[in-house]
Amino acid sequence: MRYGTEGRTRLLFITLIVTALFLITLDLRGVAVLGGARQGVQTILSPFQKAGNFILTPVKNFLTDVTHLGRTRNQIEKLRADNAKLKIDLLNRKSADAQLKQLESILDLAGTAGYRVINAKVISQGSTQSFSQTVTIDIGTNAGIKNNMTVLSQNGIAGVVKDVYPTTALVMLATDPTFKIGVRIAGSQQIGILTGRGSRSASLQLLDNLTTVKVGDVLLARGSVANRPFVPGVPVGYVTAVDNSAGEIAQSGTVRYYTNFGGLGVVAVVLAPSSTNPGDALVPPKPVPTPIPTVTVYVTPSPSPTK
Amino acid sequence: MLTRKISLSAPIFLFIFIFQEAVVNQFKLPGGGFSLFTIFALVWAVISTPEIAALTGFGAGILMDMSQSAGGPVGQWTLIMIIICYGVSYLGYGDGNFSGNPLGVVFFVVVANLVTELLFLASSALLGVTTGGFGQVLLTLLGNSLWTLVITPIVLPLFSFMHNIVFETRSAL
Repeated sequence: MRYGTEGRTRLLFITLIVTALFLITLDLRGVAVLGGARQGVQTILSPFQKAGNFILTPVKNFLTDVTHLGRTRNQIEKLRADNAKLKIDLLNRKSADAQLKQLESILDLAGTAGYRVINAKVISQGSTQSFSQTVTIDIGTNAGIKNNMTVLSQNGIAGVVKDVYPTTALVMLATDPTFKIGVRIAGSQQIGILTGRGSRSASLQLLDNLTTVKVGDVLLARGSVANRPFVPGVPVGYVTAVDNSAGEIAQSGTVRYYTNFGGLGVVAVVLAPSSTNPGDALVPPKPVPTPIPTVTVYVTPSPSPTK
Repeated sequence: MLTRKISLSAPIFLFIFIFQEAVVNQFKLPGGGFSLFTIFALVWAVISTPEIAALTGFGAGILMDMSQSAGGPVGQWTLIMIIICYGVSYLGYGDGNFSGNPLGVVFFVVVANLVTELLFLASSALLGVTTGGFGQVLLTLLGNSLWTLVITPIVLPLFSFMHNIVFETRSAL
């Protein structure tokens, strides 16, 4: 009896393994049924994700405030003085304001370049268990979103649309290790390829061995054929380190993205590029150092008392 | 009997999966966070028979493959979860030191979770799925394992209770 049970378990195990291998083969051969199943599951999940995002936004804001305790101490002290209802109201308002600010910046960016964009809200962070960097946005094919469209943040490139569903879309962030984008250096027009590294910094590889790059150079997207996946002129990041190894054919370097991927709340998907190449019009202005006021104290000796 | 157990388990798995996608994935936790669904499937497998564990792995793997953040082809997580769930159940089945002891279960789940990630990396390499740089992968592995070590003891009583409800329920005539 025991052997019978063991034999049945082994048979079941082997059957399941074969089934899994069968599924992998079907998917790699591009059988549409499996893609449809994934899409169906995503369609079912998206209302839950939207509800989860709505409910958890105050909690997330609270956690963000806790992690930024040093920077927001004054704000937290002020919030402590309020009652519970006002706390929640304030947190919701803060979230809305932050998203509005992001949205304004995105629209400024898109308006300067002449892109036709559609705004979207980030409703879920992708699981990093698969070692990928993705977010889900709340618009999909119903809003005209297609695969391989450029996604902008308030400061520049955020990623590219990877998968589209009727009401949601999966965006591969520029930090994803598989993300690659053709870039050019603003001003000098040298070209190179930027690759994500899983964090806010990325690797730059120049293509021409006769050109040079220096720290502080600003990188813009070169644009793709038919403007997909990348429209030209989008600010990408700036060079933070240059590798001048003698063995390298061309220079390489490290780039810091303009986009803060940890705080992505609102993004914009580029539906159509501008009719003309924006060139270097979107290069962000260099930060102007805030002058530190100098206080000069003149000491005048009091008149000595007359004897 | 088996059909009844599966039909009772399926809604629980679905609920945990939706909870994972709708709630847990909302938080960008340091070190890559954790997968509550994987922890649940592994706990379920550790305290089940190998036969149930293999089916658990299959069902959990299919759901994980359906997740939009699953990087590889459909079937990759299914294959991994079948192997891992069957493996942990086979190794721990009948050994009360592991499957009957909360510390043993936590140890099994943490190690199995790490092996799951390593198997995913290995199969991704075979299937041509890019998984990132060495440092980032190492950070995710470490972070995921630590989170699993923290979360598993917290959720273990609840998951164990649910397992008991499903598997100790007798059908009434």
